Amino acid sequence: MNVLELKNISKRYGAIQALDNVSLAIAPGEVVGLMGDNGAGKSTLVKVIAGNFAPTSGDILISEQKVEFHKPLDAQKAGIEVVYQDLAICNNLSAASNVFLGREPTRKIGPIKVVDYAFMRSKSAELFARLKSETRPRDLVHKMSGGQRQAVAIARTLLSDAKIVLMDEPTAAISVRQVAEVLNLIRQLSDHGIAVVLISHRMPDVFEVADKVVVLRRGELVADKKASQSSPEEITGLITGAIEHA
Amino acid sequence: MQKKDIGLGILIIVVGAIVYMHNPLFLSPINLGNTANLIGLFGLFAIGQGFVIMTGGIDLSVGSVIALLGVLFVDMVGKFGVPWPLAVAIIIGLGVLIGLAHGILITRFRLQPFVVTLCGLLIYRGIARGYTAESTAGFPFGSSYPQLEWLTIGRSFGVPHSFLAMLIVAAVMWVVLHHTVFGRHLCAVGKNEEAARFSGINTRFVTVMAYVICAVLASIAAIYFAMFTKSVQPSSHGNFYELYAIAAAVLGGCSLRGGEGSVIGIVLGAVLLQELQNLVNLLGIPSSLNFAVMGAVILLGVLADQQFAAYRTRKSTERALGLLQKP
Ligand SMILES: Nc1ncnc2c1ncn2[C@@H]1O[C@H](COP(=O)(O)OP(=O)(O)OP(=O)(O)O)[C@@H](O)[C@H]1O
Ligand SMILES: [Mg+2]
Repeated sequence: MNVLELKNISKRYGAIQALDNVSLAIAPGEVVGLMGDNGAGKSTLVKVIAGNFAPTSGDILISEQKVEFHKPLDAQKAGIEVVYQDLAICNNLSAASNVFLGREPTRKIGPIKVVDYAFMRSKSAELFARLKSETRPRDLVHKMSGGQRQAVAIARTLLSDAKIVLMDEPTAAISVRQVAEVLNLIRQLSDHGIAVVLISHRMPDVFEVADKVVVLRRGELVADKKASQSSPEEITGLITGAIEHA
Repeated sequence: MQKKDIGLGILIIVVGAIVYMHNPLFLSPINLGNTANLIGLFGLFAIGQGFVIMTGGIDLSVGSVIALLGVLFVDMVGKFGVPWPLAVAIIIGLGVLIGLAHGILITRFRLQPFVVTLCGLLIYRGIARGYTAESTAGFPFGSSYPQLEWLTIGRSFGVPHSFLAMLIVAAVMWVVLHHTVFGRHLCAVGKNEEAARFSGINTRFVTVMAYVICAVLASIAAIYFAMFTKSVQPSSHGNFYELYAIAAAVLGGCSLRGGEGSVIGIVLGAVLLQELQNLVNLLGIPSSLNFAVMGAVILLGVLADQQFAAYRTRKSTERALGLLQKP
């Protein structure tokens, strides 16, 4: 059974055909490396899946059920979580507050509902432990390393019982050691049965964690291959167009 | 309490001590009572301004709102004999509408807060002056409203009720900001609107509510000011008050970039501003220099705060490097 299936997804921005008849199926726990040159349509594809905007045409199926997302919240409710390219977290809040952003637990004091900070902290400490990350719940995000920020973003996905996590360039702009941390986080998610779509320009990262590699070129899906049956050379050729199709 | 709040508290005490040494009248019950009253009046709407600033916006219309609603309140109660509780409800209702209008123009029509509220500043002031034909609105001679007066300009044990009202509002808003989901979302929206939206937060609602809170607190302040001055001169009443509010909020640690601020800080900011006014009066500095003193102190305060923050970052980096260099 597929956790996510895209059927003939197209998306136009005025004259630009950002996605052209893209079809793709993803199994539970599968890690998919989504590659392509700048402007190939990777972010657009992620945004369509995440409900930021509807595709111009085509269908999205979650666990074999056709769905229509009108806003990000719809996708979230269907089990899709996104870790954005420019990290959608708020620097001024603590790690715990960010993990729970938009779904803060509350408790009642008399007639008023107040945020349950104690629960937020203990639960996020538990999630960080599960991800084997050293992030501390009370730390402010703007004081944390890139890898720790990723851990915060990824802990959010565990919290919501996500089925699919979409990651747009999580390893751009962080150090080598932190990249290893993030790749580890991806493996943890996969071990929990969560499918991961990883957008990256970094070939080694993709080949290290991905079960399958998908290549977009000018909005068209030109490859959908098991990572073990492909090679960085082949993928590079597919990205640039030196190899037409795979 | 945040570190910034403590720093501000110390500054208030230091300035107070200096003024007291030059003029012991500073701590006289009369002076303290009067100053507390002004702190209450200005603090009321500064808290609302702070909420707007935390969303990354600004509300320039506060002074004009205070003038317009003040004129209307005085006329309703004094001229048309509307029972005062009803008049209060109407004024607060108008505050809600004004806030909604600002919020919707900013979120739905994507106009900039500065522009929307600048137009508000001009429009409300203009309506106040046009409606009164430039004449001062006042209560009829000899009229009195004992309960209303007790609530607004009364005192208990020498403490002005305007000050108590401000403390109550501050306590409520403190809970709202630091302990409700709305407060969390407000900080998130102010810092990173997109991230907040992607997290499933209704960012438009949060922003609109901030403007509503600001206008409602301004409408309550309008009633307090009208009762305090007893008459409202439509062209000068409340002039520049939005700037006092912005100053108090900035002194209190609100960043104009949004996402940061504390209610305690804003209240302390309002206290410091009134203390400075007081300093000008008590130290015999010509009151024409009033604004200059205020501007200079705010500038110094913000500068010192920034330098201090830079110093702390430097220190912690050094510490981290030190740890790294140890084998
Ligand atoms: N909001 C938009 N309006 C108009 N065109 C857009 C918009 N967003 C993206 N595009 C265009 O759609 C195409 C695909 O963009 P997309 O951001 O999906 O690329 P990408 O593969 O994520 O690139 P990168 O690797 O640089 O992140 C590009 O030609 C881009 O210019
Ligand atoms: Mg992109």
